[in-house]
Amino acid sequence: MAEQLLHIAPPGPPRASVLVVPPLFEEANRSRRTLVLAMRALAAQGFAALLPDLPGQNESLATLESADLAQWQAALADVAAGIGGPLIVASVRGGALIDHRAKAAAWWRLAPVGGASLLRTLLRARVAADREAGRDSSIERLQEAAQSEALLLAGNRLSPAMLAELGSAEAQPVEPLRSVALGAGGLAGTPLWLRAEPDEDAVLAAAIAADIIAWSEQCGVT
Amino acid sequence: MTEPDTIDAALRALLADILGLGEERAAALTEDSGLFGELPEFDSMAVATVLTEMEDRLGILIDDDEVEGEIFETYGNLLAFSRSKVAG
Repeated sequence: MAEQLLHIAPPGPPRASVLVVPPLFEEANRSRRTLVLAMRALAAQGFAALLPDLPGQNESLATLESADLAQWQAALADVAAGIGGPLIVASVRGGALIDHRAKAAAWWRLAPVGGASLLRTLLRARVAADREAGRDSSIERLQEAAQSEALLLAGNRLSPAMLAELGSAEAQPVEPLRSVALGAGGLAGTPLWLRAEPDEDAVLAAAIAADIIAWSEQCGVT
Repeated sequence: MTEPDTIDAALRALLADILGLGEERAAALTEDSGLFGELPEFDSMAVATVLTEMEDRLGILIDDDEVEGEIFETYGNLLAFSRSKVAG
């Protein structure tokens, strides 16, 4: 099933393309508006900017329960293979866990996070919600159940395969790579992917676009 | 800056990031300021995010069995819990 691919084109022929790999689960929704602002800034500087829907995420018709990290890695590799000309893969947070099978001229990662940390937050949210509703619940028991059944974690129904992959997934080495964080020594801005309520950060969007362009030029992709 | 003030500053910044409080509201938090049940932004997902970010930013490990609901009742409780974890 073909997934939606948001494509923001520059006014003329593109210098290169930037494939944005969004964060995973709710973090994608919290970050999307700011990422699209960054894509518009990239297009204004002559880059084609693309943001795919991962199967089971955003407006995909696939169920999230049918998805896992290996499938998302393959889906991204397919999207990348369909893009002509030089390509930069730009991943945010958990997007860095699935970006290494795409063929690209350069990689850029913002605030990459391990799968175990993402999974732990989702498990904690489930336990907090269970306890608030007066149900006995613990991370240990959820982890045991996860070996044989799908779990509903903060609105995400995740398969045993996805849960197992998340538990051990780390960002894989790619070359050339620039990995950048927020704050001192990194980009100025707020970590909107953590935010309980939707917001946007135009300063961060501009910083993301400028940093990707500088890295692309440093890698000889101009 | 003494060690406890560093923890206080890190905790205020973390709550500002997660709850979108802004610098002023975060700076105005007192020991008695209510969190869970008082701030509408502080839902179960925010509780989970706060715990994981506390681990990352304060360099601690939190065993979820030791997390009682009362540590999220006030800013003072959360700060006291953080200080006890950092002190080990």
